[in-house]
Order: sequence, then C-alpha cells, then structure tokens
Amino acid sequence: MGQIVVGYDGSACGDAALDSALDLADELDDRVSVVFGYAPPGLWGGEIAEHEEAIEELGEKVVQRAKSQAAERGADIDVELVPKRAAEALLEVAGQRGARMIVVGSFGDPPLKGMILGSTPNKLLHMSELPVLVVPAKS
Amino acid sequence: MERSAIPASDSAPAPRTGVEDKGLKKNAIGFVSSVVIGVASTAPGYSLAATLGFVAAAVALQSPAILIISFIPMFLVAGGYYYLNKADPDCGTSFSWVTKAMGPQLGWITGWTIVVADVIVMANLAQIAGLYSFELVGWQAAAESTAAVTLVGVLWIVIMTTIVVIGIELSARTQVGLLAAEIFTLAVFAVVALVKVYAGSAPPASIHPSLSWFNPFSLSPSEISAGMLLAVFIYWGWDTTATVNEETEDSSEAPGKATVVSTLILLGVYLIVAIAAQSYAGVDDLIKNQEDVLSSLGTDVFGAPLDKILIIAVLSSAAASTQTTILPTARTTLSMARAQAMPKSLGKVHPRFLTPHVSTILMGAASIIWYVGLTLVSEDILFDSLAALGLMISFYIGLTGFACTIYYRRELLRSVKNFFFIGVGPTVGGVILFYLLIKNGIELSDPANSESGNSWAGVGPPLVIAVFFLILGFLLMFVQWRKVPAFFKRRPEVVPAGFLEGEAAAPGPTGAGPEEVP
Repeated sequence: MGQIVVGYDGSACGDAALDSALDLADELDDRVSVVFGYAPPGLWGGEIAEHEEAIEELGEKVVQRAKSQAAERGADIDVELVPKRAAEALLEVAGQRGARMIVVGSFGDPPLKGMILGSTPNKLLHMSELPVLVVPAKS
Repeated sequence: MERSAIPASDSAPAPRTGVEDKGLKKNAIGFVSSVVIGVASTAPGYSLAATLGFVAAAVALQSPAILIISFIPMFLVAGGYYYLNKADPDCGTSFSWVTKAMGPQLGWITGWTIVVADVIVMANLAQIAGLYSFELVGWQAAAESTAAVTLVGVLWIVIMTTIVVIGIELSARTQVGLLAAEIFTLAVFAVVALVKVYAGSAPPASIHPSLSWFNPFSLSPSEISAGMLLAVFIYWGWDTTATVNEETEDSSEAPGKATVVSTLILLGVYLIVAIAAQSYAGVDDLIKNQEDVLSSLGTDVFGAPLDKILIIAVLSSAAASTQTTILPTARTTLSMARAQAMPKSLGKVHPRFLTPHVSTILMGAASIIWYVGLTLVSEDILFDSLAALGLMISFYIGLTGFACTIYYRRELLRSVKNFFFIGVGPTVGGVILFYLLIKNGIELSDPANSESGNSWAGVGPPLVIAVFFLILGFLLMFVQWRKVPAFFKRRPEVVPAGFLEGEAAAPGPTGAGPEEVP
C-alpha cells in the first residue's frame, strides 16, 4: 500500500488538495497522510512558546477537520503535526513514509508574491525528490 | 484529548507528534540573530537623533558620563530578565513573570503598560519614519508638512503591520540588513567627524574630546537625575536579548554572550556617536537642533550627497524598530489572551501565516488611531505622551526587577552569586527605575515642564496621560475580571530552592493554565 502525503491548513486550497489526494488514493488504493507544519514565522523576541502553543492548538483543530472531511467520504487518514515550516514538514514526512507523491493546494498567487511570502508549493517543486501535485483552490 | 491521532501502520515509522517534540524553539536563533534582535529593538540611530540634543541641554559636555550611568539600572534588571527567563521560559514576558511573582492583578497592569507604551512609541517611530522618508528624497516642503509626514508615517505602520502579519520570510534577514546599514553609517559618521575635528576642518565651535566628559563626579545630583531621565530610555528594547535564551542555539552559553556583545555594541555606538557629535558641533549646536540632531549634523559633516547616509541610518532604525515593536507587543497580548487575561480572540493565529494576526492588526490599528488622532488634536500632546512613556517604561521594567528577586526568594541565600545577581542587582535596578519614576512624575506634574506648557487642572499633561492610562487599565482589568475571573484567581508562585543548582524541577506548568499530561 502506497502513501500520499498532503499539505493541509484548513483553507480552501487545503480542502482542494485533500479532496484530490483522497480521489487518487481511492484509485491507487493508497493511504493518505495529512501534514500540518507549525513553525512560527519570524522568530523575534520572547513569548515564542506561547505563540507556538497557539499555533499547535490551531493545528490540532485543523487536522481534526481533515479527519472528519475524510471520514465523510468513508476514508481513514493519518495526521501529523510537525514543528517545522510547511515545506520542510511535508518533505520530512514524505521521506519517512516513503511516499509516492506530495499533494498541496495553491492559492494561485503570482510568482513574485509567492516568492516574497514564501510559497510552499513553489518551494516543494524545487526541493522535492518526489513528484509534487499542486491543486488549485476551487473558486 | 486525543493527541496522536495516527493509527498504527506497518510501513510508517513511529509517528512524531508535535506536542511531544518542542525541539523547534531550541537552535532556532543563532548567536548573530540574538545580537541583532537586542540592538535592533533598541533602534540606536533613532534614539540618538531624538535624545542627544536634550541630554546635551541637561548636562552639557558630560553626555558620555550620563550615557554610562543610565546604562546601569537597565543592565542590572536585564540580569533579572535572564534569570526569570530561566525559570519561566515559556512565556518570557514581564506580564507573565510579574503575574507569577506578584499576583495576577499587578501582572495584568504590567502587560497593559507594555502595550500602552508600545502604542505610544509607535506614533513617534512612525513620525520619524515619515519625516526621514521625505528628507531622504530631499523633499523639504513635504517634510515640513504635518499632513504629509503623518500620511507617510501611517503608511509605514501599515506596511510593517502587514509584514508582521504575513510573517514574510525575508523580513528576518531584512532586519539584519537594516541594522548593519544603521551601525555602519553611524560608525562612518563618527570616524569622519572625529577626523575633521583633529584635522581642524570642523566648525569653530568644535572641541577636542576629553576624558573629563566621562567623569560622573563633576555632575550635580540634579543633573544626574535630569540626564538619566532622558538617557535611560534609549536603552529600552535592549532587554529583548535576555528573553530569547531558550530559543537560542547552545542555550546555556550563547545568550549570555549575545547579551554582553549587544550591550557592548550599543554602549559603544552611543558613546562614540555622542563624543563625535559633541566634539564636532559643540554643545550649543546640539541643543539648537535637539529635535533631530543627526540630520543637521550629517549635512555638515559629509556634505551632499553623502549626508543622505545618516538619514538612511535613522530611517532604517525607525523602520526596523516599528517592526520590532509591533511583533513583541502582539505576542504580549497573545500571551495575555491565552492566560485568559484578555479577550480570547487576541490569542488567535492566522491559519495560513501562523502569526497572531488579530493581536497584530489591533496593535497596528491602535497605533494609527493614537498617532493620527493626536496629530489632529494637538502635536504638543503627542510629545507630552512621549514624556509619559518614561513613566511607563520605568514602571514595568522596574517591577520586573523586583519580580525577579521575589520569584527567586528561596534561592537568594544559596550562593553569593545568586545573592548578587538575582537579589541585589535586579532590586537595585528596580529601585533606581522607581526613583526615576517618582522623580519624573513630580517633574511632569508641573505644567511648565511639558512640551505644550498646557495645564490640565493644574497638572502637566504628561502625568495626566500616564494616570489616565493607568486608570483605563484598571477599568479594563475589572471588566475582564468580571467576565473571566479564572485568571485573577491565580496565586503567586515561587521558584523552589535548588532550582538553579539542578536540585529542583522548574516551578509549575508554564503554560496558560492547568494542562493535562497525555
């Protein structure tokens, strides 16, 4: 049984990615792992841990939502919270699990904006040794 | 609560749940970044531009002596920050430390004071950023127009708030760049000015530097307190370095070193620039241009077009500092919200950017309202609120000093080092700051000492502003107390004896409240 690793953050594009991944998993008889990376951006000054805890709680909520979204379709998925930035978290989990591919959603940001904001799909495309599927958010 | 929701799977390795792995905050910040944080949040370029002239007016040639004396209380309390952070690294703010050491009510007021002080200083930073943006492009007419400066100042707040919200990955590196530019240009300025002084090409008012400038004993006690009231606050922000030790690589050694290094850099920059400025231009010229010493000096020392580099120094300093002001303030309110001391929504993090966006945007909005509102009503009040800032800073930093000694009271007599570094140091620092607070309060109560010269019911506006915010703080505290009493029922805690020696565990859970262990 193969593995498909999905980046999921509870946004519309995360939903789209999860949906596509579940479709593919059905066809390929694969298992889906949802990953939420929660490194706080911009490490400046104190109070980091409080911030991190808040993000962690958000992550718990987000992955529970992913689970229930999958359960609605009758699928059972794995979820992981990883204290790294999204792209690194996905690569790490995909490596550990020997995944077939990585699936992420895209906000459809223009490339320059993506570069400034630190676009996860963009990074993955350059860094991943596995195939990466980028799913646009349904508008 | 189900923490690791991952079903056993043969092919998958043991799942790592984020909850157990808190490795992230360690090794996240390098030595250089630590130093950068400490220096950048202090904004040396802007601090010098806004303070040097006033210090010269208070103590004439003894500015270097005052800069050194003023450093002492901040340094002593910063030692307290270091130890408080050791016992309670999870929150890392004066809010949480004062809450733990001295109870939730004082803790709440401490957190409130930090937020108010940051909102007030944002107005000032934005104004400097706006003014210097026009000076940089040489548009004098716009620089003299309050409306134009305010508009660009607001724009700066909006940009910096946006950057903090979307957590741009470039911003951390941008900070390093901005700071490097700032320190480099200040250094070049000092060297060129001093070379001109010795080469005799400086203006007639120039004087050769003298060791007597460092002599604190030629100052009268009233001159010392007047000078300190101005100069203590240019070190505000430096305490940040001491609070990041858990996140720093090699957390037992590096933060201590980073603190020392950033201290030396800051003290060095202040002293060198102060000496260079006063030997080049003389005291009278500094006093004449006290609103903004550096831009007039820059023109003199460098001539066009190189004079722009000092403008860049101050502009980058103000811009960087807006960012390093919004970010920690938003984290303070985040921390307070999570402790149920402020409305829950302030504790929200943005799902995509993972930043405390509600806190951050509110902080930016409050700054803009304060800045624009006061500019419309009266610019004098804006300056008076800056005078009030001193009261707030000495209050919360002084209180943090006391909190250290109180929190560690069972450790004080366990070694000579403990006694001096945890007991005597922070307490003396706190006492000096509270002395300045009272002294400052008395002075500011006299309407004649305010920028506007106004009298509100016979009292100077700065004191009225400070008292107003204190009362507002109490009112808001009682509102929150009624709504969510849990936080205000917390009891003060104490660090158990033997903690520092590794004989006792860290005191209590450091999170927002009782947390069940999975």
